[in-house]
Amino acid sequence: MEMALFGDNGSGKTDAWRSYERVLLPPVRDLHRFDTYVGHGGYEALRAVLTREEWTPGKVIEATKASGLRGRGGAGFPTGLKWSFMPPVEPGKPRYIACNGDESEPGTFKDRQLMEYNPHLVFEGILIAAWAMQIDATYLYVRGEYADWIRHMESELAMLYDKGYAGKRILGTDFSSDIVIHKGAGAYICGEETSLLESVEGKRAYPRIKPPFPAQKGLWGCPTTVNNVETLACAPLIINRGAEWFAGVGAEKHPGPVLYGISGHVERPGVYEYPTGMLITDLIEKVAGGVRGGKKLKAIVPGGASVPVLRADMIEGVTMDAESLREAGSMMGTAGMLVMDEDTDMVKFLRRVTRFYHHESCGQCTPCREGTGWIENLVTRIDEGQGTLRDLDILLELCDQMEGRTVCALADAAAWPVRNTIQRFREEFEAKCRQSIYAVA
Amino acid sequence: MPKITIDNKAYAFEGQPKLLQFCLDHGVELPHFCYHPALSVPANCRQCLVEVGMPVRDRETGEIARNDDGEPIIRWGPKMTTSCSVDMADGMAVRTHRSSELVEQAQKDNLEFLLINHPLDCPICDQAGHCPLQNQTYKYGPEGSRFEFRKVQKPKKVVLGPRVMLDGERCINCTRCTRFTDEVSKSHQLTIIERGVKNYPMTPPGEVFDDPYSMNVIDICPVGALTSIDFRFRARIWEMSSAPSITVTNARGANCSYWVRDNLVLRITPRANPHINDYWLPDEDRATYPRFNEQRPDGPRIRGDEGLQPADWETAYARASELLGAADGSNILFLGSPYATVEDNYLLCKLAAALGASPPAYIPHIEPGAGDGWLITDDKTPNAEGCRRLGVHPVDPALVRARLEAGEIAALYALEDDPVASGLFQREEIQDIPVVLHTYHTTNETLAAADVALPAAMVVETVGSYVSEDGHAQRVWPAKAIRGVNRTLRMEMGVSRLDSHGTPFDRWHNAANQVHCKPSWEMLPNIARGLGLEWADASPKEIMREIAQHIGAFEGATYENMGSSGVRLTEIGTLA
Repeated sequence: MEMALFGDNGSGKTDAWRSYERVLLPPVRDLHRFDTYVGHGGYEALRAVLTREEWTPGKVIEATKASGLRGRGGAGFPTGLKWSFMPPVEPGKPRYIACNGDESEPGTFKDRQLMEYNPHLVFEGILIAAWAMQIDATYLYVRGEYADWIRHMESELAMLYDKGYAGKRILGTDFSSDIVIHKGAGAYICGEETSLLESVEGKRAYPRIKPPFPAQKGLWGCPTTVNNVETLACAPLIINRGAEWFAGVGAEKHPGPVLYGISGHVERPGVYEYPTGMLITDLIEKVAGGVRGGKKLKAIVPGGASVPVLRADMIEGVTMDAESLREAGSMMGTAGMLVMDEDTDMVKFLRRVTRFYHHESCGQCTPCREGTGWIENLVTRIDEGQGTLRDLDILLELCDQMEGRTVCALADAAAWPVRNTIQRFREEFEAKCRQSIYAVA
Repeated sequence: MPKITIDNKAYAFEGQPKLLQFCLDHGVELPHFCYHPALSVPANCRQCLVEVGMPVRDRETGEIARNDDGEPIIRWGPKMTTSCSVDMADGMAVRTHRSSELVEQAQKDNLEFLLINHPLDCPICDQAGHCPLQNQTYKYGPEGSRFEFRKVQKPKKVVLGPRVMLDGERCINCTRCTRFTDEVSKSHQLTIIERGVKNYPMTPPGEVFDDPYSMNVIDICPVGALTSIDFRFRARIWEMSSAPSITVTNARGANCSYWVRDNLVLRITPRANPHINDYWLPDEDRATYPRFNEQRPDGPRIRGDEGLQPADWETAYARASELLGAADGSNILFLGSPYATVEDNYLLCKLAAALGASPPAYIPHIEPGAGDGWLITDDKTPNAEGCRRLGVHPVDPALVRARLEAGEIAALYALEDDPVASGLFQREEIQDIPVVLHTYHTTNETLAAADVALPAAMVVETVGSYVSEDGHAQRVWPAKAIRGVNRTLRMEMGVSRLDSHGTPFDRWHNAANQVHCKPSWEMLPNIARGLGLEWADASPKEIMREIAQHIGAFEGATYENMGSSGVRLTEIGTLA
């Protein structure tokens, strides 16, 4: 079995990835249709967990833990552990999953691929997770801009209900669980897990204070688990092929197939499915066809706009998994990799990123609401040649003033790129500043 | 009892209070904006950040690990926490800005953020002087600002409803107002719109903020974003004085403060009382303040050949005594009043008894269906319950009519109400009553028939007590001065002789707008003495002590017991 290739050393540092067979997005025509999906062995994992006695809910959670699956939404929290946080079933108290398909961070566009080409894998994953945690209903929260795929998923979901794969007495068993597709209205903050819950409840999407965590008090005060679309899509794979198989794919501590969304200055941008733990250089050079126009690489952002930027000289030997990226000074995030060539103006890059966070801060907490705007002002001024060195210091101080002082992590996400881009490309920023009238210590 | 250490000082606590509230209750001031004790905790202003730590416990024994000095070793949290949202736990240690530079800096940082898009138009802002943002910036804020950009512009002068106006730029997005309409008044008429730094509260499309409790959002707004359409730009807060009192618009007895400048009541704001109104006041209670300023009388009057003529007080008392004394006691109709205090009604009862008249009755003012089961009642008077407890019962119009037609009403003493306007008598009928003595608050329809008209002090000028619909007895303090000297009133206002040399803004210094009237508890003994009764002058405090001693329905209702939040009286039905 080719998959075993990845089990040996737990890393993608060899060329073994070339023979990787896609499992999240297999090359099957019309897989987004129910019939095709079932024709290719779809919903067998669901049938297995619902009908085979060995797959008790507890066993499914055990298997997920054993697989080492970590959340694909950005934070990389172990999924099985998260599932085990759900309190015991209490009669009369509904339990929910909120499946997060509100991806909207710049550089992240991999859930869209799943929802477009393999939505039934998502549905099947949802239903397996629903069985594992004995869930009454799942809200699949999809970014509103994905209107076409929402329409398509809604019609496929209707078919699932017709065929008895969702809703009451799934596949003739005693297990019932609903799926509701909820359309977002286009705010980045709705991807934050607790504001997603508020949004589903019909409220303004302000993140909630934690504790209580969603597992204790989620949707309408009931136990809720929030998982990313891609995370849940891994569940059928773990059931079908076994936790060991999954744990053997890719990096040892961050295993499994993952969708790399590569964008920016590469020859072939796109979403690529490969194991975790791929060398960043391989992803750029061999998968995405190298830097556009044969130019030199300048920087990459490995996992969506909020994670720290890495200079080209920092990525030698670094692989795409949480541990390796942490050592390199960044994070895995959503594996949405932004690639920038030597011509990129890092000040302009930061200006665009800060503009995004200014625009998307929900405005609940003071430091984020006020800080994101101030930061954009400062970076804009520097970019326009009107900034001073003192502005750079203020920027770094503002990062201190925002980080860790808000309800959710948006302020952190807004501050990290500022801190890291300035620290790692300071000369570029200084070059754009006016001669300072202030003494610089 | 569990213990918590705040700035190295130990405190014992019970239950599971939130840290911020506990600190505020124990004199440990922490700056905050969004937290309000009656609302949910959103922790969005981030001003009350503190460092929180828990003692390290030995994994095996569960014992608290201690250092060489025997002090528990504290593991401090990785981030600062908003104290408003922290549930206190045994052994918890807290560092506020008093012992942590980190916290002190965080407070400065946060205030700098709050102010960068705040217009800083304090000189023209109604909130200036009692503004939590202003006060806390002076106390905890940074020296200046490093913000050198154009501030965010938002809608200003937005009329949210008939009584509340919004200045979006001043708003700091604490969401107290939206939480009030969601959680307390439940009208759901306000929400935050826009996103991020453009946020401000607004009504949903097509909705008018006409919540009957809408003006409470003005009180809880920690900045000048929500202002009263009626009061804005009327007076600076430091030019006014306020006195604790209750509202007299209905029978709930909601606690309020009357705000006075130059002896004019300019606005009414709620005063917290957990037994009655928490922190809130209905709009209708606030809207009635002009009644204390307008159509007020100017001294006593006596009917002469040319109608009512001004007279001095002694003459008026003498004339009243003379007219009352001339009538047969059993033919005098005494009308008490649910607008008057317990003390005033009690003295009237005593006078009626001394003259052999039947006990006074009062004219009820009930608007069925007007109440909302909360702070607005059907009864539009403040003291009907107090009257009933004194044995002053609602008047029977049929009986009065029968006595009138039989010529059995030789004299009428109408206390602080308007028998004509309230329909007890027709305008022509009351002319048939030979003698009409009237003590009154504002110009009214009964005056046309009065033989002696005695202007009476209103709730904002007197000392007295009122009993709410559900039996809560409360006293009031005078908020403004009346003309003439009344030592009791002066003492209750905290005015000494030295204060006569006050500033032009002190309410007692300024003779302008002082109404020429007297409290009924001063007038009635004078009339009684004119009738040959041996009545001493007594202050309301003494009168109330007498009532509490002699009338079971008022047991315990002394001023000492009432304090500033009142005392709950025994149900009449349960009295022995």
